[in-house]
Amino acid sequence: MRYNVLSDIKVVDLTHFMAGPYATKLLSDYGAQVIKVEPPAGEGGRHAGFRTHSGNHADRGPLFAFLNTNKLGITLDLKHERGRALMMELLRDADLLVENFAPGTLVRLGLDPDEILARFPRLSIVSISNFGQGGGEKDGLLNDLTLYARGGWTFPVGEPAREPLTPPGSLIQYVGGLYGAIGAMQAILARNHRAAGGQHVDISLLEAAVATMIYETVSFQYSGVLRSRAGRRFAIGPFLIATMKCRDGYAGLQNVTDKQFEGLCDLMERRELISDPRFSTALKRMTNNDALLEIVADFFLKHDRAWLYHEGQRRAVVLAPIPSVAEVLEWEQTRARNFFETIEDPVLGSLRIPGASLRFGSNRPEPTRPAPRLGEHNREVLGRLGIGATGLETLAKDRVIVGAP
Amino acid sequence: MSASLDKNTRVLDLSMGWAGPLAGQMLAEMGAEVIKIEDTHYFDWWRGSLSMAAPEMQPIERSAPHNTANRGKLGVTLDLLHPRGVELVKRMVARADVLVENYSAGVMKRFGLDYPVLAPLNPRLIMLSMPSFGYGGPESGFRGYGNTVEAVAGVTGLTRYHDNDQPYTLSNALGDPVSGLTGTFAVLAALHERDRTGKGQWIELAQVEGVIPMLAEPMLEYQLTGEIQKPRGNRRPDYAPHGIYRCAGDEAWIAIAAETDSQWRALTDALGLAHLRDDERFADRARRKRNEDALDAELARAIVARAVEEIVPALSAAGVYAAPVNSAPAVLGDPQLAQREYFVPIERAVVGTHLYPGAVVRTPATPAVQGVAAPLLGEHNAVVFRDLLGMSDKEIAELEAAGVIGSAPREYRKVS
Repeated sequence: MRYNVLSDIKVVDLTHFMAGPYATKLLSDYGAQVIKVEPPAGEGGRHAGFRTHSGNHADRGPLFAFLNTNKLGITLDLKHERGRALMMELLRDADLLVENFAPGTLVRLGLDPDEILARFPRLSIVSISNFGQGGGEKDGLLNDLTLYARGGWTFPVGEPAREPLTPPGSLIQYVGGLYGAIGAMQAILARNHRAAGGQHVDISLLEAAVATMIYETVSFQYSGVLRSRAGRRFAIGPFLIATMKCRDGYAGLQNVTDKQFEGLCDLMERRELISDPRFSTALKRMTNNDALLEIVADFFLKHDRAWLYHEGQRRAVVLAPIPSVAEVLEWEQTRARNFFETIEDPVLGSLRIPGASLRFGSNRPEPTRPAPRLGEHNREVLGRLGIGATGLETLAKDRVIVGAP
Repeated sequence: MSASLDKNTRVLDLSMGWAGPLAGQMLAEMGAEVIKIEDTHYFDWWRGSLSMAAPEMQPIERSAPHNTANRGKLGVTLDLLHPRGVELVKRMVARADVLVENYSAGVMKRFGLDYPVLAPLNPRLIMLSMPSFGYGGPESGFRGYGNTVEAVAGVTGLTRYHDNDQPYTLSNALGDPVSGLTGTFAVLAALHERDRTGKGQWIELAQVEGVIPMLAEPMLEYQLTGEIQKPRGNRRPDYAPHGIYRCAGDEAWIAIAAETDSQWRALTDALGLAHLRDDERFADRARRKRNEDALDAELARAIVARAVEEIVPALSAAGVYAAPVNSAPAVLGDPQLAQREYFVPIERAVVGTHLYPGAVVRTPATPAVQGVAAPLLGEHNAVVFRDLLGMSDKEIAELEAAGVIGSAPREYRKVS
């Protein structure tokens, strides 16, 4: 769904792949007018991630279809003088330029941030990069595996006797996108109250990873205890936080307080454990964590996830099933809340995509517009700059633009 | 220089743990005045969580996560089950711009502090509610923490080794920081809309709905193929090597990925592994993937006696993805973070000086406000109730005597 909270914000979007497009998706899903500017070959994200092997998917894969909803799409060859000139015309009217190239790329494209900020005093630039715009490693390589590892997310996950287990997918790219959207709004609000004109906002994915992992860095300084892999447990502590095997799959349990422990004992019909000298305080539950885990694991193994979930929640025990992504799509809670939204993607067909995470009371959302085809809005967007049919033809002939004329 | 937010922006933070408090902490970094409201009977539960180093002691002021997530805030206490406490929250709401809470759905209503009650007191109020499962739906009101939110959104089910069914919870309670970031964005967007319209609003964020979008790709893959993505562990479906290997020393590990033929040649050259470069089983991308078990065994053997601090730079210089699998002290000593002066030293009463993660969003024209410690329980009662609500010292002393405010924990009493 698309809200219009940010309807007066104009964004020129040079992002590609994931972190940048998620940042501008957040802006466009909540109403900003986002013009996605791609090179004539399309940005790399059109072909990134999972691809189906049937049908005409030359234009996009499903990841692109999700990350670029509600955006207008145009092509411009920025290596071409006319492409750069049109880019400048777009920036004249914009509030934000968002990009996630390697540092230095904007300069190479003839879009030096300092010059742009000087020329367009209302405009801010938001840059998302692996290591940030400065520092000795700013040009270094990172992918999801090495970013999680270096940022501290990986070390404490997995079996003590095995190699650490990396987090799945590209979660950290989405975290980077969230910081990008926040940075964009900070620049806008600073301008609203005249604290600043435009500025160049700098976001490092490595720093984003570290900021979202406070248990490691800060807790270690306080306690001197190095957290290590605790198997199916989150950590060994005065709590039981673990993934438990059930009769029909797995469930996650987060049992922390005395009250929650009482609820768990009640659920297990083992109320005598509440006063058992091994478990009667949080401290004892840490010392005797293995014994407690064994008892609880034995109980979970005999029951189904759904029963544990509902009966547990009824007793204020914090637990939840561990569903597959297919089960999340069918989950009655997301169904009842109409969270997933069905869109008609022009290439991939009917898709159920995660809808708006935020529900703003100020306005009624409209249906989501699918991600643009390559150059789909060339005519509309360039037309606003005064370029007519003949001009578009010339641009297409000179390969400055590609796609729908 | 001024900060990103107008300095008159006032935020009431009624949240606990990390999700809500992270939003308050970030808004404080951006220049807002953030007042954290706790109850002496029911304070932030991180204050009550035991320390691994001194588990016999209830930390109260010694909780590392609490002291991280509440930096830059003023701290007051109010008994939200006492009519005077509720009345004082309402008086503060009348003078506030933003209220953040992350109770389960329905708790604010039980306090008599839900949006329909508060909005008439201040039509400009922006209220962010972030319950785990949202308002509405059969599981509204269910309880969740960062780890179970992460689980029920589908993340934990994908966090498995490639050869074992057991799922693992992530190390950072992902649901918490993602909700904090999503909530922060929501508040900023609403502040911008209010700059245009003059009106506040209620914003609802079901925490699970903030995490689910991060799995859009496997969800779409399932829809298009009918197949559920298999857990990948440290591997990837389309190339090898992509894994984590033991190095010399105690708990020293390296993460390595080489996708292309040229990266594979660069890897073998950088590590002096000519025999692997010339091994027919690994001659191209498809064969390396097909023979991944053998490849991983060979690499593990070749790397196990090498020093991680020696081979990471060698591989990186050769254009291969490589990083140490950092534990806490290694993250704290990371050279790139040091060069960017990322960590911020903050001195705080009771615990002393430590390094805290700094502002991720660097806004050079409106720099982050950093370096202000998390408040002690009820530390700013006098100053807030006097300066903000115009109360006399006598009235404040009466509140304390009546147990409505305080600066020491009282007997635990659960409110939700």
